[in-house]
This record gives sequence, C-alpha cells and structure tokens, in this order.
Amino acid sequence: MKQKLKYLMNSFKEKNIIFLSYLLIFIGICILFSASKGVITKESFFIKQILWAIIGSILVYVFRNWNYRSLEKFGYLFYFIILILLSIVLIKGEGRASRWIGLGWFYFQPSEFAKLVVILVLSSFLSKRDIRKFPVLLVSLIIVGIPFLLVFKQPNLGTAIIFILIFLGISYIAGITRKQLIGLFLLAIISSPLIWMIMKDYQKERILTFLNPMRDPLGKGYNLLQSKITIGSGGLIGKGFMKGTQTKLAFLPEYHTDFIFCVIAEEFGFLGVIIFTLLYYYFLSKIVEIIYIRKDIFGKFVATGIFVMFAGHFLINLGMTLGIFPIVGIPLPFISYGGSSLIVSILSVIILSSIEKHSTLF
Amino acid sequence: MGREIFLKKFINFFIYIILLRCFYLQIIRYPYYYQLSIRNCIRTIETGIPRGIIYDRNGRILAKDAPSANLVFVPYDIKDVENEIEILSNIIGFDKEYIRKKLTKKYINPFDRVILKRDLNSIEISLIEENLHKLPGIFVQEGIKRIYPFSKKTGHLLGYLGEISQSQLERLKEKGYKIGDIIGQDGIEKQYDEYLKGLPGGIQVEVDALGHQRRIWGKKEGEPGNDLILTIDATIQEIAYEELRDRNGCVAVIDPRNGEILAIVSNPVFDPNNLIYYLDEKKHPEKPFLNRVIKGQYPPGSIFKIITEIAALETGTIKEYDRVECTGIMEVSDRIFHCWKEEGHGWVDINLALPFSCNIFFGTIGMKLGVSTLIEYAKRFELGKPTGIDLPGEASGYIPMVQEADPLNLSIGQGPITTTPIQLLSLISTVANGGNIWQPFIVKKIISPKGEIIKEFTPNMKKIVPIDSETLDILRKGLKNVVEFGTGTRAKVEGLEIAGKTGTAQRAAAEFELPTHGAFVCYAPFDNPKIAVVVFLDYGSSPQAAEIAGRILKRIFIPEKIEDKNETETEIFDE
Repeated sequence: MKQKLKYLMNSFKEKNIIFLSYLLIFIGICILFSASKGVITKESFFIKQILWAIIGSILVYVFRNWNYRSLEKFGYLFYFIILILLSIVLIKGEGRASRWIGLGWFYFQPSEFAKLVVILVLSSFLSKRDIRKFPVLLVSLIIVGIPFLLVFKQPNLGTAIIFILIFLGISYIAGITRKQLIGLFLLAIISSPLIWMIMKDYQKERILTFLNPMRDPLGKGYNLLQSKITIGSGGLIGKGFMKGTQTKLAFLPEYHTDFIFCVIAEEFGFLGVIIFTLLYYYFLSKIVEIIYIRKDIFGKFVATGIFVMFAGHFLINLGMTLGIFPIVGIPLPFISYGGSSLIVSILSVIILSSIEKHSTLF
Repeated sequence: MGREIFLKKFINFFIYIILLRCFYLQIIRYPYYYQLSIRNCIRTIETGIPRGIIYDRNGRILAKDAPSANLVFVPYDIKDVENEIEILSNIIGFDKEYIRKKLTKKYINPFDRVILKRDLNSIEISLIEENLHKLPGIFVQEGIKRIYPFSKKTGHLLGYLGEISQSQLERLKEKGYKIGDIIGQDGIEKQYDEYLKGLPGGIQVEVDALGHQRRIWGKKEGEPGNDLILTIDATIQEIAYEELRDRNGCVAVIDPRNGEILAIVSNPVFDPNNLIYYLDEKKHPEKPFLNRVIKGQYPPGSIFKIITEIAALETGTIKEYDRVECTGIMEVSDRIFHCWKEEGHGWVDINLALPFSCNIFFGTIGMKLGVSTLIEYAKRFELGKPTGIDLPGEASGYIPMVQEADPLNLSIGQGPITTTPIQLLSLISTVANGGNIWQPFIVKKIISPKGEIIKEFTPNMKKIVPIDSETLDILRKGLKNVVEFGTGTRAKVEGLEIAGKTGTAQRAAAEFELPTHGAFVCYAPFDNPKIAVVVFLDYGSSPQAAEIAGRILKRIFIPEKIEDKNETETEIFDE
C-alpha cells in the first residue's frame, strides 16, 4: 500500500503525462458525480464517462510501445476520412446545429477528432518544408482551412477557433516570420466582415451578448449571469462536495459539459480553483517540456499542436465561464462530459507519451 | 529556441488572469453572489409569445391575441402542497388530481413559473388575490390568449393552440421551439405556425425569499408574428355553418375559377375559445377535432358517375342518345345488381340517366368501359390523391387497383374506392371551369407587422384535363337537370341556375354496416360558375345535402332575400 502511494507520488513528481491526465479524468468523474445528483436526475452521465475512461486505458495499454512516427504516414488518410465525416455531418444536419453522427448509444463527434488529425497533417507537412516560403504557407492555410470551414458551418464556433490556434501555434514554432504573421492578421481583419456575414444569427447574438450581457437577459445573458453567480457564490472554500446549490438546482444549463468548471468553483471555492488550475498548469507545462526535449521536428510540431489544443480549450472554456470570453461552447478536456472529447484527449496524451519515450532514440 | 519559451509565457499570463478573475468573483464579490445564490433569486418570467392576426379576404378578424391573466406557480416555492391544493380547488373548483399532478411534477428549472390555468376571469382573479397570503408560490401573471371572434364557426378552419408536445418538440427544436411553447395544433394555426409565431416577451427579475419581485434585471417586449390574409369569406363561412346547423357532416365552398377556398365547415366542431371542455376525449366520442372536409374518406357514391360519364363520352363508348333499359334489377353472372329505384327507370339515355342517377345505366356503360379505364379517368381528375390544400393532415382517399374493383360497383362510386369531400369539390370545380384543376388554397398573403408582404400565394393550376366541349355540354346539361327535375331538386333556388350531383354511399355502406352518407356537389351560376359547394351529411340522404347546398347558394347569390329569410332561419336555429 505504502509502496503504491510512493509510486503514485513519484509519477506525479516525474510528471508522468499519462498519470497526470488520469488524475484530471478522476477529478472530472468526481465532479460529474456531484453534478449528476441534481434536481433532475439525468441518466448518469458520469457512469458513461467512467466507461470512456476505461476504454481510454485500454487504448493506453495497447499503444504503450507504439512509435508515433507511423502517424506521419497515416496522417493524410485520417485527414481524408475526417473531411468526409465532417461533410456527412453538415449534409445530414442541413440547416440545423448538428455536430454528431449517431452510432447507437454513442454520438460520434467528428469535429473533436478533426483537431488531432489537423495537428498531425500540418506537422507532417511543415516538418519537411519551410513555412517562410509563400506556397508552403498557402498550402498550410488550406490544410487547416478546409476542416475549419466545415466545422464553422456546423456551426461550431469554439472548435473553429481552436483550429486557428493550432495553426498559429505550429506555424509559430515552425518559424513563421513576423511579416507573414502581420499579413495573416491583416487578412483576418479584412475578411472578418465576410465571416460576420456567414455567421449564424445565434453566433452573432452570442458575441453581441458577450459585449453586452443584458442584451438578452432571458437567453444567453442568463447563462453568463448564472455562471458568475455560481462561481462567485463558492467563496474561498466553497459550499462543499455535492453541496453546490446552483448546479444542483439546475440554474445553469449544460453544467456537466461546457460549464463544468462552475461546479468546481461552487463546491470547492477559490482554493479549489487554485489547486485545480495549478494542476492543469502542471499538466500543460509538462507538454511544453516535451516540446523542449524533442529534437525531431515532426514530434515537436505535433506536441506543439496538442499543447495549443489543450491550452486553448482550457483557457477559452474557463474564460467563457468567467465572463471574459464569449460563450462559444467548447468542453474542458478530461473534465467535461463527452465521449469523443475524452477519447481524443486520451489519444493526444498517448501520442505525447510516445513522443517523449522515443525522443532519446535520435 | 526562444519561441518555445513564448508558449510558456503565454499560458502563464492567462493563468494569472483567470486566477485574478476568480479572486474577484469569489473573494471580493463573494457576499453579493452568495446572496444571489442562496435565495436563488434570479427568475425568468415569460409573458407569452404573441401571434399575428388572421383576417378573412375582406379584412374581418378571424383570430387575434388579447391580454389575459394566468394562474402561475413557482415549483420551488410550493411548500405545503396539500394545503394549496385544498385552497385552490375550493376557490376555483379545480380538479384536485390535476393540480396535484401539476404541482408535484419535477421541473427542469424549479424556479421558472409554470402556468396552472390560463385566462382567469375577473372573479377568479379577485378570489386568488384575496387568498394570496395563504398561497405561497402562486401568482396571477399577465399573459396572452388567443381570441376567435367566430368561435365554433371557424373551428376546423383555424384550428387551435396548445402546448407543444414532446414529439413536436423533438421535431421542431431546431427551429427554435422550446418546452412550454404554445403552438398551433391544427388548421391554419398549425400550418402557418412558423409565420404566425412571434418572439416571446419576458422579464428577468430578482426576487426576495418570499418570491416577491425586487428588481428588474432585464425586460424584453414580445414581438408579434406575421398576419395572414385568407381567401375565406367570413360571411360565406357563417352561412355555411348556419346552414349545416347541428347536423354531423361538412361543407366546403370554393371559387372554381382559381381554387380559393371560401368556407370550410365540419360538424361536430369544438369551440376554440373553450378548448378544455372539448379536449377531454371521453366526454366527446364524436371526435370534434376531425375536419371531415379534408380528413373524411367516403365512397363518392353516385358523384362518381361524373367520372363514368366523362370516360364513356370521351372514349366514345356511348353516344348521347344511346339508350339502356333499366328494370330496376340486373343480373351479372351470379350477382344481382339493383338500381336505387326498385321499379326501374325504363329506357334511358345519358341525358336522363344522370339526373335520375340510374345505376343500371351507369353500371352497364361501366362494364363496357372496364375497370382500368374508370380508374384511369378517376386518376386524371386527381381523385384518391391529396389536393395539396394548405391545411395539416389531409387524407388521400383511395383509388382501388384494377384487380380489386369490379366495373359495376366502381362505375357508381361504390366498392373499395374512397375520396375526401375536398377532392369531390375539386372535381366539380374542374367540370365548372372546363378542365382546370386548381390547387385549393386558404392563405392568400402573409404580412409582417410592419405591413410588408412576406409571401403572396397566387392560384396554382396543377393540371389541365382536356375534355371535349361536346362531352362538357352533355355533362353540364345533365348536372343542371339533376337540380331541375332529378335527384337534387331540393337544391333548387329561384332565379339561380345550379348544376350539381347527388351521391349516397348506399350499398357499400350497408354491406360494411357503415352509416350512409348523403352528399351533394354543385356549382352556380350555371353559365358563369363563381361558386362551387360540397355538402356531406353523416346519417343523411343526398336530397337533404342538396337542400343545404341550395340554401347556402341562395344566401350567397340572392342577398336581398337574406333579411326576411334569415329571420326565419335563425328562429329555426334557435329552437
């Protein structure tokens, strides 16, 4: 027993990435357990989440000695498949906000997987080419641009933003010049009215609501206000595990997915928030370390992409629950309920772990 | 190498911001948010979704919104359920089980107000206000109700409103519908719900521990939906309703020149202003929500002889003066086929057979034509197929397959064939206008609250059926004689030439032990048709149906006689 504890402590100290991610998943499941004890007893999503975590551990076991470099070959195939899946989602859900492909009890969400695939393809592409050349930059933009547009049309604004971040992150490490960055920035500004035009009304509404929450006090403003009340009422030490009133009484919609952070803040207070945030930070800084160590360029880019994906999700998700970012609806990796999201996160960690292990071989 | 460091700096920076923000919300603003949360005091109150106005073709209002008072409750604030049930059932005479079910149900947001009873009258309001201190969590709240000035007269036409059902919600969620929404459940209200429905109004308030309003956080005025202008003529609608009286059956009136529906009435009917009374199915086994005009499927009976006659003349199977002897009975292989007139009609040609509706004559030519030709002609006139009228739930009727039907029965509209009244109305209109099949329609224009035209529906000619003018002349002459001296003389109106055809689902009905239906279709004036009418009577005879059609046409075309006639009419009606 003591030895086991020691082993766990060591894993933590050594920043074993698999261990850290499962620590986060464990916290997430506890939070979901608390959240599922609300006034309305939903089918207990926390049990499903445990199932996904178990499936994830099987993946971890299967791929324990696997070398990530094979991804360089398969990346483009995955890319092709994911584009088809994203198109199916779009066609199937025409005119509706649909993000899923139903597979019996499981709703498969291709946009979650698209993020990882884009990271792999972009890394593979840029690892052999110089981004400072204009055609290379252009092709990279297209690689990210196609799935970006497909996801954006769904509409899934949050994931689309993550695509932009992934592009910026990898191209930044790949050595994009300041001039190119400024050029892209200007391009974005010029095309923003265009994007505004193709945005769905509700997306515009959300951005306007963010700018002025009282614009729609019954709808989107309500979420934001309730989110702030939930977090604020947690105080220094929180209301205690399973004792949150806001989330239990279902003031807050989607508290088990996008607003899961509120449950932490309400039940464990500011102290809980600090511990949680630092733990997440610890996990993220481990990825940065992997980026540092890694000498082979493909691995470095992939690690960067995954870092940006996790960091982007983390910051945007917390930002929107705290009212410092528009409500765009993206999950908090490892914590929020959702099979696709959890599996993608675990797969990402498996890749990171493989990158770390195989770094010494070069 | 420097670029990797930036990643770390970047994340560091934002982590500080997040922690600072949490510090602000959870430490500095803690007392404030704690108060808000402990009292759970932010509440949303929806004040209803305004709908557009429905007008008839002359601008008379058929449906509109009006303010009303609703009895609402906040599930969370109901502490002593039994006590409140007792008081409520005493002062408003509620069914106890109904309130108990409502009050104890689990709600997604137990702080959102739930409507217990809509449209309180002033006595109820004062009774509740008096007892309010004994009823924590219960309030009277302003809302919107729908008013139908013509009440029962436009029941089936306009439909009614009701709370969205679970299955509707699943279908309509993407269109922005949500739990508790009041939507059109039948008729025009349902068909055009998307256009009629406006945006909900509501307020978000902060309340104190007793649920009393303390501060308004935000208020949103509801926005009315679009108005509809119908092809319906409220006067004709009223006439049709009054003439059908309390007989079970239906009437529809159309303009055969373009397919504009002028009236749709079906009995038994519900009163949209007093819906709850009718929604209890046990008390109303007669199905007051069934719109017979579009959902009733009946054998067309002798009205189908119009098709048989056209087919016979068009294919040249018979000439105008070819005669057949009707002895009242006819033996075909081992079956005996009767005419409705036992002693028979004697030697008749088509000019006499149609007015007298001779079964032997039409049976004989039906046998000559064969089943497939009859079916082909029935399909040419779009029988057994929804007309495409803009009402929900139109039935299609049924045209049998060749092997299912025998020519004798089919030629007189019996056997497995069924049609809806609106299809027969469309058929007679096509005869009246010389072969054009117009799609019947009810909504002419959709107009935004600002007065812009959102959509305009123009008459839609679905199909032209070529009919030889000689055939038409013979057919129309025959139809006119139906009313002149034939089976439809009770439709006769002095000073107006009417062409029509009776129909009774007799034999088939008797075989299947179904009630017989008397039907009559007609158009007028004979030489310049402006109006076509269909009347169906359950448990009625076709002469009775003809009489109702005649009275309706009389009141439409001969208005100077309306006054004195109307008086006697209403007297009868009042009895």
